[in-house]
Parts: sequence; C-alpha cells; structure tokens
Amino acid sequence: MKKSVWLLSALSVLVCLTGCQDKGVKIGVSAPISGDIAALGQSTKNAVLLAQEEINAKGGITIGGTKQKVTFIIEDDENKPEAAATVFQKLINQDKVAAIIGSQSSKCSNAGAPIAEAAGIPQISPWSTNPNVTKDKRFVFRACFIDPFQGKAVAGFARGKMKAGTAAVLYDVASDYNKGIAEVFRNEFTKAGGKIVGFETYNTNDKDFSAQLSKIKGAAPDVLFLPNYFNDVPLQVQQARKLGMTCKFIGSDGWDNQELIKMGGKDMEGTYFSNHYSPDVDRPASKKFIASYAKKYNTQVDAAAALTYDSVYLLVNAMEKAGKLDSKAIRDALAGTKNFDGVTGVITYNGSGDPIKGAVMIRVENGKFVFDSAVN
Amino acid sequence: MLATAIQQLLNAAQLGAVYALIALGYTMVYGTIRLINFAHGDIFMLGGFIGFLLVAIIPGLPVAAMIPLAMLLTAMIGVLIERVAYRKLRNAQRMSLVITALGVGIFLENLVRILVGPQARQIPAQLPNKVLRLANGVVITEDKLLVILISLSLMVILWIFVNKTLLGTAMRAVADNRDAVQLMGVNLNLIIATTFAVGSALAAAGGIFFGQAYSIDPYMGIDLGWKAFIAAVIGGIGSIEGAVIGSFLLAGVEVLTVAYLSSNLKNGIAFGLLIILLLIRPNGIMGRAALKKV
Repeated sequence: MKKSVWLLSALSVLVCLTGCQDKGVKIGVSAPISGDIAALGQSTKNAVLLAQEEINAKGGITIGGTKQKVTFIIEDDENKPEAAATVFQKLINQDKVAAIIGSQSSKCSNAGAPIAEAAGIPQISPWSTNPNVTKDKRFVFRACFIDPFQGKAVAGFARGKMKAGTAAVLYDVASDYNKGIAEVFRNEFTKAGGKIVGFETYNTNDKDFSAQLSKIKGAAPDVLFLPNYFNDVPLQVQQARKLGMTCKFIGSDGWDNQELIKMGGKDMEGTYFSNHYSPDVDRPASKKFIASYAKKYNTQVDAAAALTYDSVYLLVNAMEKAGKLDSKAIRDALAGTKNFDGVTGVITYNGSGDPIKGAVMIRVENGKFVFDSAVN
Repeated sequence: MLATAIQQLLNAAQLGAVYALIALGYTMVYGTIRLINFAHGDIFMLGGFIGFLLVAIIPGLPVAAMIPLAMLLTAMIGVLIERVAYRKLRNAQRMSLVITALGVGIFLENLVRILVGPQARQIPAQLPNKVLRLANGVVITEDKLLVILISLSLMVILWIFVNKTLLGTAMRAVADNRDAVQLMGVNLNLIIATTFAVGSALAAAGGIFFGQAYSIDPYMGIDLGWKAFIAAVIGGIGSIEGAVIGSFLLAGVEVLTVAYLSSNLKNGIAFGLLIILLLIRPNGIMGRAALKKV
C-alpha cells in the first residue's frame, strides 16, 4: 500500500515536471549528429543553438501578443533513414513539438516526411534537395533549391565555362540525393550537347573507388562529376589523382563543408561545385550571421548551417504571422511566405514546399571556398 | 585496354592485401577456439585509430616505428578482449560467444566514436607516395606497392611462425584437438592469447594501411569485417593459406566486376559467385571436411 502511494506521488511529480513546463514553443530538430556526415550534424546543431540564443535573448517568439521562449529538441538521426523515422516519431508523439527542422540528407528527410505529413506537423528540411522530399505533401517544406535546378546549373557550367565535351559521373547509388542529381546531370549534359562517357556507382561506406576510377580513366572524360558528400569526395579526388587522371572535377552542394579541404588538401584545388550561398556575397543578413557564427564557434559557416538558420527563422516568422501555435495555421503562414530575407538569399514559396531561389558556383582556391558565379 | 586491365589487377591486389590481413585473424581465432570473432572488424578499425592517435600524439614518429607500435598496442587490446569477454564463455554455448563478440564490436565502435569523434579521418601520409609510371600508362603509387609488399611479408612471417615454431605447432595442435592438447600439459590460455595477439596485430597493420590509403571512421570495421570474414570462409575458415587465397579472390572478383560489367553489380556478382563456390566446396577452397568421430 505504502509503496504504491510513493509510486503515485513520484509519478505525479514526473507528470508535473514534464507537463507543467509546457509553456513555450518546442521545435524538434532531426540532424546527423553521428554517422558518416557527422560534421554536418555539428553545423546544424551550431546554427540551431545560435538561433535559440538570439530568439530567447529577445524574450522569445511573439505569438498572439505574448512572448514565448523557444526550446529546440535536437535528436540524432545518424544519417540513417530508419533512425530518422524513429526520431520523427519521437519528436511528434513524445515531445509534442510544434514543428520539425530536418533532416539534412534527402534519404533521411524522405523517411521523416510521410510521418510529419500524416501527423500534420510542419517540417522544413534545410538541405534536402531531392524532389521527392516535398512531392505531394502539404506540410513538408525545404529551405533550399531542388536537384533538377542544381543539376542543370552544374551541367551548364561544365559545358559552358569548363568547355567540357565529355563527362563521367561517379555516385553513391544507395543515397537518394546522389542518385537523383547524377541522373539529372546525365540528361542535362547530354541535352546541352555533351557526351557522357562513364556512369559509375558505389555504395555508402565504400572507401576504395580505384576500380571505378580506373574504368573512368580509360574513357578519358574532360570532367568528372562527383555528386557526393564531403566525406567521400576527397577520397575520390585523391584516388583519381593517384591514378594519374588529369580531368577536371566538379560537384554539387554535398561538398560544402570544411572537412572537404581538411581531408582533400591540395588535391581539391581548382575544383568547382554548386552551392546554396557563398560567404563572399554581399548581403547584410548573411554578413551578420557569418560574423556571429564565426565569433561563437570559431569556424566557417557552411551551407547546411546557413540553411538551418534560415529554416529556423522561416518557421519563427510563420508562427508569428499565424498568431497561434496551431499546426495548420503555421503551415498556411509558411506556405504564404513572400520575399523572406534569409542568409542564403530571398525566399518565396509559390504553392509548393519548394522555394524559388538561385544557386552559386564555388571554386576551391588556396584551401578556401571562393565565389565564382551566380546561377538563377 | 591491356593497361586498364593491369591497373585493375593492381587495384585488386591492394584491396586483397587489406582483406587478407583481417581474414587471417578470423581464420586463426576460428581455428583455435571455433569462435567467429565478429568483433574482429572493429579491432581492425581500432588498429587504424591507434595508428592515427600515435601520429597525432608523437609528431614526427617515423612510420617504421608507428606500425609495429600500433600492432603491439592492438595485440594487447586483443588479448585483453579475449581475457575479459571470451575466456569465461569458452565452454558455454556457441551462441553466447557469438553474441558476446557482436557486443564487443558495438562497444568498440561506440568507444572510439566517443573518444575520437565520428568524423572520417586520414592517417597523415607517411609512407612514400610518389606516383610511379609503369609502361603503357599504368601507374602505381609507392605506398600502394609498399602495402602489398608489407602485407605479403607479414603473411609469410605468419606462415613460418605457425608452421615452424614450437608455439605455432602448439596452435595447430589446439586447432586439431583442444582437450587432448591440454592433457599433454600445454598451456591452453597462453596459446589462445597468442592467437588473439597475432590476429589483432595483423588487423592493426591492415587498419593503418587502410587509413593511409583511404580513411578511417568508427564504423569502417563493419563492412570490411564482413567481407574479410566471407573471404576467410571462401578460403576455408581455419586455414591460413585459405584466408589469403580467399581474400585475393574476393577482391579480384569485386574489381573485375566493376571493370568489365557494372559497378552496380559489384556486391551482387561477387557474392553470387561465392555462394556457388560454397555449394561446390562447402568447406572452402583450402578447407577440409571435419572428421566424424564414431
């Protein structure tokens, strides 16, 4: 008898602890804190915590006239779709978040999106460029451009500025993002009058690409397109150079992380990739973010961090506009966002979860990412 | 055409050498205590990280000292793992041992992840890595050549150790009949510890070569461990020559599939062929069927 009384009171304290502090806005974050692109999970976390600090320093988010503090619940999806699905379930069912930021990779966002959609919880993926993420969904948004746009930009750049007649592609066949953009590039490059002489694949976690690269070397392309993440790309470029390949290298936004240069070193010099933004572009919103990020974390901003930061403010903006913490109202306010002045550019939604915005081409020069040109 | 083929064979030789260094550990441990040590891929990973940390802690440590030192440290950890996790279970059900081994593997992955971080890293290049141009546009880097040569010499040393020394003879005797050997007054624990030490040391060498040529991360042991285990099975698990043959065969099939069919089919064809091979020779290429006791 006594025991059960104790248990009951302990339980009620617990319920109160979790329930009583229900004031404030809870936003879930699904990020690859560990796993193969963990460096990017760190950028996500940095950007979210910086935004949380800024928002709460001003008293919180103004919802219907009252200010409410915001708490971000950051969970690790290990960059694995199955783990992302669990994280989304947990954030929605246990933490009862008002919205979700994430995930970063397309394969993880693809796993989480149906869950968010079914629960009617708004989701913004900062960095997932695969078209399927938002397709046929009302509650799923993204802060970045999509791969058909990016693939066309890269193919145009390779044909135009790099004057490539032939190209080869090596991509991770087990990842939605890599596979999607590889196929777009193949079509766009051919359409622009070029010839694809090699289209090779590998699997996530492969480290030895010399067999594929030797085959590509035999076809002697002018340019090799590597639409892969920053953890694989340095190995691919290094191994290609060690095999004596003399072609140029080009990539996509998956390259954008300082790890690329840390690992690739001088082998990465003179390569190009498409990206969401460049720190060199002169925009007041960007400059302010870059400065406070560098001050707080003593490192350079990457696109994932910038897009995550934009996602947070897109959401905060929508919540303030909705005036209440109702997921449907937040969704409608988000979908109606016009000319939002973000770090990565001006963002407008036009009927779908995909924003209208441009891309930039980045050149690796002297161990730095340098702005090359803009694509709209 | 011929140049590309030779290039691909060199690629296969390097991959096969790394597989072999891991596969030997699987085969030796299985030979002595009939345990498929699923943590062995993670010991390979650990060896790579120990090499990485040695270079980071002692700047300018020459590679000729780093490799043996890392091999020694990893060997000690291998022995420790056997002492802590496996010895008590030596006579328990086979299943308990396998599950413990899986647990040890996951423990090692997470330990390294917490201590060193989840990012992929490269052991700073220490082996000479000039590109050598052979005839016809075939190229090989010095480190690739060294990896193949060092691995092969380690394998030869192991073969001499197992076949020509007293300790090696005892190991083979334990593999043959553990109980009878104990009755002859052989220190079983010492023999098994030696097996783990040697297997772990070879895996460490593999990890360092891998970390130098490619990159290391806490989870790299999983995939490579599986492949090396499969190579050991093809060769005939328990057989040292078999592990080496199986490793080069697996690497060869993988690379040639990419070279002449499609990179999409790499794992499918490689493992399909292996299944066929095992249907024809269930005990592997060098394996022999167990004698039935009547």
